[in-house]
Amino acid sequence: MSAPLDGYRSEPKNVYRFGAFVLVVAVGITALSTRMAYLQIVQAQAAYQAGADTQQTAAQSVASTRGLIFDATGKPLATNVVDYSVTVTPSDLPLDQETTVAYRLGAVLNLDPIYIETKIDSTTGSLYVPVKIADGISAQIARFIEENSDALPGVEVVVSSRRQYLQPTLFSDIIGYEGQITASQYKNWQALGYSNADIVGQAGLENQYEQVLRGTYGTQKVVLDSAGKPIPGLVNTTGDPVPGDSLTLNIDIQEQQYARDALAWGLDASKVTKGVIIVENPQNGKILAMVSLPSYDDQVFSDGISDTAFQKLLSDPDQPLLNKAIGGQYAPGSTYKLVTGTAGLASGPPLTAPPVGGTVGSLTPSIDTSSTLLSGPFVVIGDRPYKEWNDQGWGPLNIYQGVAYSSDTFFYQLALLVGIDKLTYWADQYGFGKPTGIDLPETATGIVPTNDWKQANYKYPMYLGEIAQAGIGQGYDASTPLQLLDAYCALANGGTVWQPQVVSSIKNGATGDVTTIQPVAENRLKSQDGKPISPDVLTTMRIATRDVVTSRHTGNLVDLPIKVAGKTGTAEFNLPDKNGNLPYHEWFVGYVPANPYVDDFTKPDSQLAVLAFIYGADTYANVATEVVKLYLMKHYKLKGDPFSVRTDGYIPPWVARTTNFYGQNTARD
Amino acid sequence: MSILRGETLRLRGWAPKAGWLAWRNYDFQLTTYAILLTLFGLAMAYSNSVGSSHVPLTLASPFVRSIMWAVIAVVVLGLTTVFDYKWLRSLAWPLYIINIGLLILTLRFGGGTGEAGSAARWIQVGGFQFQFSELAKIIMVVVFAAYLADHQSTIKSPWTIIGALVILVPPWILVMLQPDLGTSLVLVATITGLLFMSGASLFWLGTLAAAVVAAIPFVWSHMADYQQARLLTLLNPGADPQHAGYQIHQAETAVNAGGCCGKGLTNGNVDLPVGTTDFVWGVLAEELGFIGGMVVLILFALLLWRLLACSWRSNDPFATFIGCGMATMIFFQVFVNVGMVMGLVPVTGIPLPFITYGGASMVSLAAGLGFIQSTNLRRERPEW
Repeated sequence: MSAPLDGYRSEPKNVYRFGAFVLVVAVGITALSTRMAYLQIVQAQAAYQAGADTQQTAAQSVASTRGLIFDATGKPLATNVVDYSVTVTPSDLPLDQETTVAYRLGAVLNLDPIYIETKIDSTTGSLYVPVKIADGISAQIARFIEENSDALPGVEVVVSSRRQYLQPTLFSDIIGYEGQITASQYKNWQALGYSNADIVGQAGLENQYEQVLRGTYGTQKVVLDSAGKPIPGLVNTTGDPVPGDSLTLNIDIQEQQYARDALAWGLDASKVTKGVIIVENPQNGKILAMVSLPSYDDQVFSDGISDTAFQKLLSDPDQPLLNKAIGGQYAPGSTYKLVTGTAGLASGPPLTAPPVGGTVGSLTPSIDTSSTLLSGPFVVIGDRPYKEWNDQGWGPLNIYQGVAYSSDTFFYQLALLVGIDKLTYWADQYGFGKPTGIDLPETATGIVPTNDWKQANYKYPMYLGEIAQAGIGQGYDASTPLQLLDAYCALANGGTVWQPQVVSSIKNGATGDVTTIQPVAENRLKSQDGKPISPDVLTTMRIATRDVVTSRHTGNLVDLPIKVAGKTGTAEFNLPDKNGNLPYHEWFVGYVPANPYVDDFTKPDSQLAVLAFIYGADTYANVATEVVKLYLMKHYKLKGDPFSVRTDGYIPPWVARTTNFYGQNTARD
Repeated sequence: MSILRGETLRLRGWAPKAGWLAWRNYDFQLTTYAILLTLFGLAMAYSNSVGSSHVPLTLASPFVRSIMWAVIAVVVLGLTTVFDYKWLRSLAWPLYIINIGLLILTLRFGGGTGEAGSAARWIQVGGFQFQFSELAKIIMVVVFAAYLADHQSTIKSPWTIIGALVILVPPWILVMLQPDLGTSLVLVATITGLLFMSGASLFWLGTLAAAVVAAIPFVWSHMADYQQARLLTLLNPGADPQHAGYQIHQAETAVNAGGCCGKGLTNGNVDLPVGTTDFVWGVLAEELGFIGGMVVLILFALLLWRLLACSWRSNDPFATFIGCGMATMIFFQVFVNVGMVMGLVPVTGIPLPFITYGGASMVSLAAGLGFIQSTNLRRERPEW
């Protein structure tokens, strides 16, 4: 070892070490060459003969975690649970071991071995297709089977995720259920990465927010063997799944339960099965509760509904699968007098020159708050009498009284005064006859009969009698319960028809960012001259709806400590029963001011509007009003029994109409 | 004696700083092999850009990008050849600091995807991604060469080995943090090879290696489950064993499918993940076959031979060690990359020099070869 000189050293190189390095490189390159030769010359021949040079791969998708659904307070409504099921692939199970395996599996799963064997043997599909033996097995058993897979050839534990609905019947109409993708859904969603075997939302929010809840499926490539079966372990993940977004609703489980209890009581009392209750905030369109009865259990769908059970639900005349709040359309009856009253008070043709059934003249109101129309036992239109509902009439009525008594003759005349064009204009302004824009799969838009509509469907324009009937929500008029509630919300909030919203916020599944859904105004009420509706018109109608309650048209509703305004409605439909009475729908739409204990309806500040609808009721009094009353008592935690809050002459709603009792102050219309 | 001998050397020494005669010592073979290998790399990039469906070339395609990088690499090769490598020795420590700075920059602002979901591998500048860990390999060769040349007098001491490891640790940790196990292994392999070639004590090298091997089970058993899983994941670039299984299976299928003569450029159709980078050999073997593969391997062998020859011919230990370091680095990468595709070596993310698509790798290799040509031009002795 000599000291370096001036940074240099004559012999820094060791010939043995250089030699060793050259040797290592030579051995390495030779090894690579040999391996190359083996793979490409020797093995390639065999591979070529086996036809393996045409590599078969298949793209598969990897399910992402579906987004969860929470109520307004953050309590879970829909979650995912792991589901273990046991399958047997016949092609992987040697025939001579079948009995043994069935016996062992039977012992583990507590099943009859003969049942298992029969199930394996009775498969009609390909032998490569796994046969499901049991599902919903516990994690311990699943683990036990996996650990003993040597003793159980062909047996596999399949892990999948399944929806769990924590409020299965209470929220089924809102949340809906999942099911096999339909042919048309597959066609529409194929480009989004859906496969024809996917389970997708088929109703309610599950359907409406399908893409949001689903997230993004991952993708992977698998290598297929010569039989086209994926080779286990040869998987290439080409895209990671992104979890779906979670939804938070505006609905609180407690409110939904109150609403449901109230409606269930009403249906029980009137001995009918179908009804709807909706609660909405008029200031922003947030849906606070929505119940449609009869309903169904959506957990049954998640657990795997049988064909017969599904057919039974489909063929049930009460249509449990239909959310009647948005999918049913019914004659709105007297509740529709809101539209007729607004049409009369708002700018339009003057009272002095009634353009009966006709065109719009100068844009001045048809009536004002001091105008009166004479209410008799009936009005004759054409050659037919149109009766007052109490068969007597009330004499001259102004708009307040007309609404308060729900006078049919008053509104027949008013409808004819304003004419069909103006009537349908205001129906359209309030949102009738078109989708509400709610974030649920909406299936009905209702009917607002116009001359054009009548011409297209019946080859004649609207007759005068039909116009009169359209003015009281009968005849051709049809509305979904939600449309009607939206219209009253517009009244309560001073003229904005909000888009009803079930979902309040969406939480991104990947980033956790929360997007709050902003209220959307579908329409702001405008007169035909294009100007916003005069606030006076709505104030008048609000006070008139309060008069409905204070005049005891709604019985003892006025006796509640909270101040309610609203409108009842009864719409006859179908054929008379054996007593000659028509069955009828009963409605009540009400709202309370922001301070419910102060009787001031001049301000458009209501925070709560409720609609109840009873299909085919047969009670004397209006049971829908009782349902709303019961709901409000629960909502405001009012003390006392709703039935003990009674005043003289109060007839409980469950008194059958056939008692033919007259003369009390609980009006049915 | 040594003084006298040194004087003699000086007198006989012929070290022109300029002049055309110096170019007699330029190793044209070395440059030729490198260019031929790069042409194979461009062919692979072309195949990757065009594919079997013959997608039209765009400015952003790997092929066009590779040509741009190749032009830059030629310029870098020229500049580093002209540059007097002896300056590098004094610049070694500043380069080391810059290297660490660049690696920290990469960690801080870098982008990329890796096993753990996100990784910091490259820095994006104006549409070009630059992977500084590639540059780090060359810089570390220069730093180690300078260090070992400076410690020739104490080369047998264990402290020299420990000192080398101390130099290695900061960049190694920064590379592991990216995380880039491949580059960190290349760094370890380079220092090991250089220590061996510089004449470090085999006893102490062996003792150190034995100590590391002996420590593995002890450290492993004291690791938490998740740490073990992490490490296993790190050893497998595919994040899961199944993923790596797929890659290996597909790579072997591709090599098989190539046969003797290959399917022809752009005709490969076996689905191969990272077919442009880590598994480029699979595509090469499939499309160019055994013959093409052997040509490339022989070119690598010749290139390594020339590197060792240049290294041997130099009388400057610094120059010798740069050559040895480059040779170790290139050989390790070739063996691991090709061996991995053919199932000889576990799957590790190491690029194949010259062939793998990547601007940083190309430019770094050009710089390294330029330094070696620079040592050729500035040899103390014209012949040996």
